[in-house]
Amino acid sequence: MQALPAADAENPHARRATPMGWWLLAPMLIWLALFVVAPLLILVVYSFCSRDDLGRVVFDFTWTNYARVFDETYLKILARSVGYAALTTVICVAAGFPAGWYIARRPPAVRDRLLLLVMIPFWTSFLIRTYAWIAILKSEGLLNATLLAARVVPQPLELLYTPVAVVIGLVYAYLPFMILPVYGSAEKLDNALVEAAHDLGAGPLRAFSEVIIPLTWPGIAAGVLLVFVPAIGMFAITDLMGGAKVAMIGNVIQNQVFKARNLPFAAALGVVFTLLFVASYLALQWRGRRARA
Amino acid sequence: MKMLRSLLPLTLAAAFGVATAAAAPKGGKLNLFGWSEYVPQAVIDGFTAETGVKVNYETYASGEEMLAKLLAGGGSYDLIQPPDYIAEALIKGGLLTPVDQAKLPHFGNLMPEYLNMPHDPEQKFTVPFMVGTVGIVVNTEKVTTPVTSYAELFSAANKNRIVVLDDGRELVTAALYTQGKDLNAMTAENIAGTRPVLAAWFKLIKLFDSDSPKTALLNGDVDLGLVWCGEAAILHNEDKKFRYVLPKEGAHLFIDLLAIPKDARNVDNAHLFIDYLLRPEVSKLVSDEFPYTNPNAAARKLLTPEQLANPASYPVTDRKLDTFRHIGDSGAAIDELITDLKNAN
Repeated sequence: MQALPAADAENPHARRATPMGWWLLAPMLIWLALFVVAPLLILVVYSFCSRDDLGRVVFDFTWTNYARVFDETYLKILARSVGYAALTTVICVAAGFPAGWYIARRPPAVRDRLLLLVMIPFWTSFLIRTYAWIAILKSEGLLNATLLAARVVPQPLELLYTPVAVVIGLVYAYLPFMILPVYGSAEKLDNALVEAAHDLGAGPLRAFSEVIIPLTWPGIAAGVLLVFVPAIGMFAITDLMGGAKVAMIGNVIQNQVFKARNLPFAAALGVVFTLLFVASYLALQWRGRRARA
Repeated sequence: MKMLRSLLPLTLAAAFGVATAAAAPKGGKLNLFGWSEYVPQAVIDGFTAETGVKVNYETYASGEEMLAKLLAGGGSYDLIQPPDYIAEALIKGGLLTPVDQAKLPHFGNLMPEYLNMPHDPEQKFTVPFMVGTVGIVVNTEKVTTPVTSYAELFSAANKNRIVVLDDGRELVTAALYTQGKDLNAMTAENIAGTRPVLAAWFKLIKLFDSDSPKTALLNGDVDLGLVWCGEAAILHNEDKKFRYVLPKEGAHLFIDLLAIPKDARNVDNAHLFIDYLLRPEVSKLVSDEFPYTNPNAAARKLLTPEQLANPASYPVTDRKLDTFRHIGDSGAAIDELITDLKNAN
C-alpha cells in the first residue's frame, strides 16, 4: 500500500487555491461537514453517554462504554472480523487480479463487454443476490443437486449457515471492487515494459514479480482497501448466509442499536472502529513515505 | 432561451402537482409504523378506497427496533403496533395517546380474555391486533420421535437441525422455563444462571433467524424450530408434515397491539384505521394472510374450519402460557450473554 499517493508538498503542479476553487469545492465541503463530520461528532458525544430504562440516551459522562469495548468478548469479535475480512481480501486478490489483468489485455470491444459482465450484478439489489446464494447453497439447492446428480458427493454438503458460506458471500460481494481497480492499473501498463523484461532475460515469474506487480500495485492497493474495509463491517451476509451464528463487529453494532437499544455502547464501538482504521491508514502512509525517501 | 423553454414544462408540472395535492380528498393521511408482514396490502387499499386517507406504511422487524426508531423521533407516526411488553414501557414512559373507545364502534368484537391485561390494565392506551405464541415446530417426516419440550428439542440427536428465533429474550425465557423459573424474573443472577443451559443449546443450533425462520425449514436445511406460531401456521398450511407444539415447560404468549404515539398528528385517522381493522371481514383478511391467533370473536366466526383447526394458530392446550413484562435495562445483560455465547462457538 506504499503506492498510495501522499499529499505531496513538492508537486510542481500544485498551486494556491483561488476563490473560484473554493466555490467549486464548497458543495463537497458542505456535504462532508453535514454527513461526515457532524455524525462523527454525535457519535463521539453519544459514546460517553448512558441509556435510560427505555433505551433513550442520557447525557452524562462515563467511560463505561469504552471499558466494555475492550472486554474480551468484543475484542475476540473484532479479531474475528479482521480475520474474515483478511481472508476475503486474499481470495479477492487471488481471483480478482487475474480477471482484471485478463480483461485489460483484451481488444477494446471484448474488454468493454467483459467489464459490463463484471458490473451487471450491480443492477440487481444486493439482498436479492444474497437470497440467490441461499437458493444455490441450501441443502436441497442448485449446487448440492448438481453434485449429487454427478455423484461427486454421496450426501448433500452442509454449506449454508456455516463460516464457509459467509466467506463465499463476502468474496462474491466484494470481488468487483478488486477487479475494477486492478483493471484500471493493468490497462495503463505499457506492454513494452513486460517485453523489455523478457528481452533482458527475465523469466515469466520474474517479469511478473518485478515488473507487473510493482506497476499494477496502485490498483491492487486500492482494491485491498475497497474490499478489506467494508468487509469488516458487513452484517447482512453473516445474518443471512451465516445463520446469524458468527457475529462480526457490524452485527454487534447493529444489535446494540436495534436489539439491546444501547446507542452509547454502539457509538463507542463505532468510534474505536473508526480510530483503528485511521491508525492503520496513517501507519501505512508513514511506511509508504519512508520507503520512498 | 432554449434552457428557459426546457424549464417551462417542469415549472408547469410543479404548479400542477401543488394544485392536485391541494385538491386531494379531505381524508388526509395516516403514518402507520407496523411489523413487516402483518398488515395485508388489501386492507390498506380497502381503507384508502373507503375513507380517502392515504396510508404510509413503514415497517420494522422487532419491537426493540420500533422503540429505537420511535424514540429517535425519525418520523411522525400516527399508529404503531407494539408487542405487549414494549407497549407497557411506552405507557410507563407517558409516550402514548389514550385510545378513545367511543370512536371504535367495533371494539366490542374483541374477546375479553385479551383485554385489561397486565401491560394495559385499564385498556386505556392499546387495542389488541393479533395474538400468538412461541413454540416448537417439527418436520415430522424427518423427526419421528415426539418432541414436546425444550429438553427434547435441544437433544444431542438434533444437532445442526434446529432454527431458533434470533431473539435473546425468547431464548433466555425458554431456558428459564426449563429451570422452572418465572420468565419475567430477569434478574442478573437468573440471566447468568441460564448460561450453562444456553451454552449447551447453542452447540446444537444451526441458525438464528427471527425474520423468516420458516424458510430454512421449508428449504430442508433444518428439521426443527423454535418459532413464532404464525410462521408455524404458514408451514402447516404449506405441508401438513410440519407440526406445532407448545413446550411442556411453558410458552411465551404475546399480544401485538395497536397504539397511538403521544406526538401523533392524525389521531382521528388512527382511530378510523383501528376501527376498520376491528371489523370482522377486515380482521379475517389479516388472518387469511398472517395466520396468528385472532382475538376478534366476530372475525373468528368468519374463518374456515381449516383455519380454526390449524394447531399453530389456535392451539388447544393446557400448557402454562405467560406474557412478557417490561424488564427495563435487563435487555443489556441478555444481549451480552447471547453475544458471548454465540462468540464461544
